[in-house]
Amino acid sequence: MTAQAAEAPPDGPGARGAAERERRTPGTRFLGPQRRSLWFWIFVGPFALGLALFTYVPLAWSVYLSFFDAHNTVTPTDFVGLGNYTSMLTDGAFLSSLGTFALFTLFIVPATYALSLALAVMVNRLRFAQAFFRSVFFLPTACSYVVAALIWKLSLFNGVRFGLANTVLGWFGADQTAWLSTTDPPWYWLVIVTVRLWLQAGFYMILFLAGLQRISPQLYEAAAVDGARPGWQTFRHITFPQLRATSVAVVLLLVINAFQAFDEFYNLLSDARGYPPYARPPLVYLYYTALGREQNLGLGSAGAVILALIIAVATVAQARWLGLGRKED
Amino acid sequence: MTGTGTGIGRRGLLAATGGLALTGLLAACGSNTGRGGGGSGPGISQWYHQYGEPGVERAVRRYADSYKKAQVTVQWRPGDYDRQTAAALLTDSGPDVFEVNGPTLDQIRGGQIVDLTAEVEPVKDDFNQAVLAPKIWQDRIWGIPQTIDTQLLYYRKSLLKDAGLEPPRTLDALVDAARKLTTKKTKGLFLGNDGGAGVLGGTPLFAAGLSLVTEDGKAGFDDPAAARTLGKIRRLYADKSLLLGAPTDWSDPAAFLQELTAMQWSGLWALPQIQQTFGDDFGVLPFPADGPHGAPAVPVGAYASAVSARSARKAEAKAFASWLWMERTDLQQDFALSYGFHIPARTSLAKKAARLRTGAAADAVRYATDHGHAEPLRWTTASRTAYQDALSHIIKDGASPESELRTVVRKVDAELARVRKR
Amino acid sequence: MHHAWIRVGRALRAALLCALALLFLVPFYLLVRNGLATEAEITAPNWTFFPRRLQWSHLTEVFADPNLPLGRALLNSTLIAVSTTLGTVLLASLAGYGLARIPYRGANAVFYAILGTLMVPAAVTFVPSFVLVSSLGWISTLRGLVIPTLFSAFACFIFRQYFLGFPRELEDAARVDGLGYWRTYWRIVVPNSRPVFAAVATIVFIGAWNAFLWPLVIGQDQEAWTVQVALSTFTTAQNLNLHELFVAAAVSIAPLVVVFLLLQRYIVAGVERSGIDD
Repeated sequence: MTAQAAEAPPDGPGARGAAERERRTPGTRFLGPQRRSLWFWIFVGPFALGLALFTYVPLAWSVYLSFFDAHNTVTPTDFVGLGNYTSMLTDGAFLSSLGTFALFTLFIVPATYALSLALAVMVNRLRFAQAFFRSVFFLPTACSYVVAALIWKLSLFNGVRFGLANTVLGWFGADQTAWLSTTDPPWYWLVIVTVRLWLQAGFYMILFLAGLQRISPQLYEAAAVDGARPGWQTFRHITFPQLRATSVAVVLLLVINAFQAFDEFYNLLSDARGYPPYARPPLVYLYYTALGREQNLGLGSAGAVILALIIAVATVAQARWLGLGRKED
Repeated sequence: MTGTGTGIGRRGLLAATGGLALTGLLAACGSNTGRGGGGSGPGISQWYHQYGEPGVERAVRRYADSYKKAQVTVQWRPGDYDRQTAAALLTDSGPDVFEVNGPTLDQIRGGQIVDLTAEVEPVKDDFNQAVLAPKIWQDRIWGIPQTIDTQLLYYRKSLLKDAGLEPPRTLDALVDAARKLTTKKTKGLFLGNDGGAGVLGGTPLFAAGLSLVTEDGKAGFDDPAAARTLGKIRRLYADKSLLLGAPTDWSDPAAFLQELTAMQWSGLWALPQIQQTFGDDFGVLPFPADGPHGAPAVPVGAYASAVSARSARKAEAKAFASWLWMERTDLQQDFALSYGFHIPARTSLAKKAARLRTGAAADAVRYATDHGHAEPLRWTTASRTAYQDALSHIIKDGASPESELRTVVRKVDAELARVRKR
Repeated sequence: MHHAWIRVGRALRAALLCALALLFLVPFYLLVRNGLATEAEITAPNWTFFPRRLQWSHLTEVFADPNLPLGRALLNSTLIAVSTTLGTVLLASLAGYGLARIPYRGANAVFYAILGTLMVPAAVTFVPSFVLVSSLGWISTLRGLVIPTLFSAFACFIFRQYFLGFPRELEDAARVDGLGYWRTYWRIVVPNSRPVFAAVATIVFIGAWNAFLWPLVIGQDQEAWTVQVALSTFTTAQNLNLHELFVAAAVSIAPLVVVFLLLQRYIVAGVERSGIDD
């Protein structure tokens, strides 16, 4: 079915084709356009209503709050115009959180992409124990960011002598490193990126495996006849191009997930007194501004709106760049 | 009470009409007073944060049960208590009476807290004035201080002696001692996993003879001495004398007990545990003085009992808070001294406390009395965050203290101006 | 020569895979090791690879700790994950089918309005969502924890894409039998679409079980904590018991790990055949 789905771009043809077909099928007699609209809303209505209430209403409310001085209140009266926006956009901490966000996405998306593709290619070629290796790499998907962050922070990468990383370094005579507390060099990135890599790679490996299994063996046979050597050449000229659809989906999912980054940052770096000024992505910053002790809901909302705009622009640009919605050839 | 009450009955009806317009929702929320409390008569809900010492929870439930004029349900809340209360005060599912690390100025200005002046006024002078001061805004009192907490520098006498060191009395001596006490497996000093930015707060400034906010409402650390002192904290970090990345933070003596560090900055509450493990082989010090105008300093502060303005039973809630934290001095004494180490907020009670008269505890009380500094009410969360960020940049990134502090002073002055208006 | 190279390559690949598999298993090893070791063994200066004597009593200890309501949290997580999964799959599949198969003039506009929310990360709207939920009186209730999360544009998108490719002949046959949209959907479409339902349900279930930000904000009462919130709170408690924390973490992932190991074949098949990657 996947091929068919790909052929029908989101707009037009699919739905229109259905309408034409509808006219030809016998059941149509009982279903005039009004009845069809009714059925459409019976199917789509509950979902659309819920989405409107729990996404669009909060969004509108957020925009409303962002124009007010709303300290410790959600029904503010003190209109400040664009004041919250100017203070957010001149707030060094917020701007640096956007930088963190960009840096994190630049790290994590290519890293997860490469690792999960490599795992898939290697597991796919295995003649034995394939199921075992697949399970091992897939299993971390069952873990939450909370649990993973706990293992990473308290055992694997804790800064004292009984952390595993420090123990291993100790065998080679190196000094113990405070992984999460050191900003120079920024070891905390190693901790943050590996958590997410470990959690995500297996899931995307499964997607790539599915893509690999759809590639026709004849393509490889033909390539072999043409003299392409197995290994890098076949990968580059056959496997990789054939995985294009999967790759686009994986990159999109990775970016969407990177936008939501909050859990591992919060669980790795927050403490009773707050959050350090580094590795602080916008969601964490806004969380402290709006929902923490500060309760500056107006300013937090302005930040949320700015962030949403940035993400929307980035997503559209990315979709264009990846040629999403273009017809596959 | 939220646990059993919320979400049953009238709120269920609201749920069914989930598609209401925004204004409708707010109106409905205003008229909804269904706070159940188990559905048994006029109940008051009281919130506490989770105290680490065993027995406190049972004790506060006992106090509540012994109050006869209303049924009081205690909510014991582990986790990020400040955030929980801040969020709950926006809604009707919040507490009636609650202890708060504040109340914050914006909670008071936002009308979220009930004025308790009439209740506190009669015995106002018996409270420790340093911790009462941040509960006062525009001559009204907004919270009843419960107990005084303070923080101290714990050190191992034997380790210092082995290294040929005296207990550090100046910041320079502390930097020096921390460096000399650092070995391959043990660090010299633990100021929290963030290198001290969180827990130290204004303490180094106090030790340099400065303040957070001046009498006339300006940032109190616009002074070269501030940069010099904070630069020395950076020295500690740069020397690799600080323990970082321990599984437990500064508030837990575990790192000190596991001998991961020779000295640790922690709360008074850690004293019994440390005494149990090390016997006499430890001592306590205030944060050492720095510079010609410096003086030793320890932070003091008090959780206060406050009444929520959203409470449907303000009068009963006020009466209960006043009964527990004003009248019943016996319960206040029990609360402060029977479980962990806290100093009673009432001077008359603190003087009577036998447990606080000997050894390291007596030293701690003396430091709190002579060198205690409380964070002023006008030191808002935004100011604290800006200062904490700057401190972290100075300590960890080696940023120039002068320029970092200039940024903070600007931010703090803006915040002070904001709270002055209206 | 050529063959020898291939054999070397194969051996290298196997070695690399084994090394990676070991790396991927290290966190699980730490979970079990720390959970079943004594506090002294965990914090000892020299690494013990495995505790001398396994401390199974930690399991009972962790369930008895009043500060970590683990039993209650597991129950909450289960309730939330199951109801979220059922609700999401029901709502999103219906909507996906309607969008894919019922001709309606505004269908594209509705579809783009739904798709657009994918660009607004749910967490960006958390401030007003929290306020909305609190004005509904849903703080710390199952309703508040579940209902706002039921409307997953992502799940709807997958269902729509899948139904666009659903064999039309099957539906046409149902029409001939006089079935309307509703009965066609339930009698023909759903029974023939099990893989996509399995795949979406799995993804939603994992997401709901592991969700953190929303339960953290909404589940304020201890009685409403999920496993994730309970663990996270416990990590920042004033006094920390490492072994207890790790045992609790192991318990929290156990249900999902068991489900994974038992159902892995189906999950993988579902993901592979659902066309999520298109």
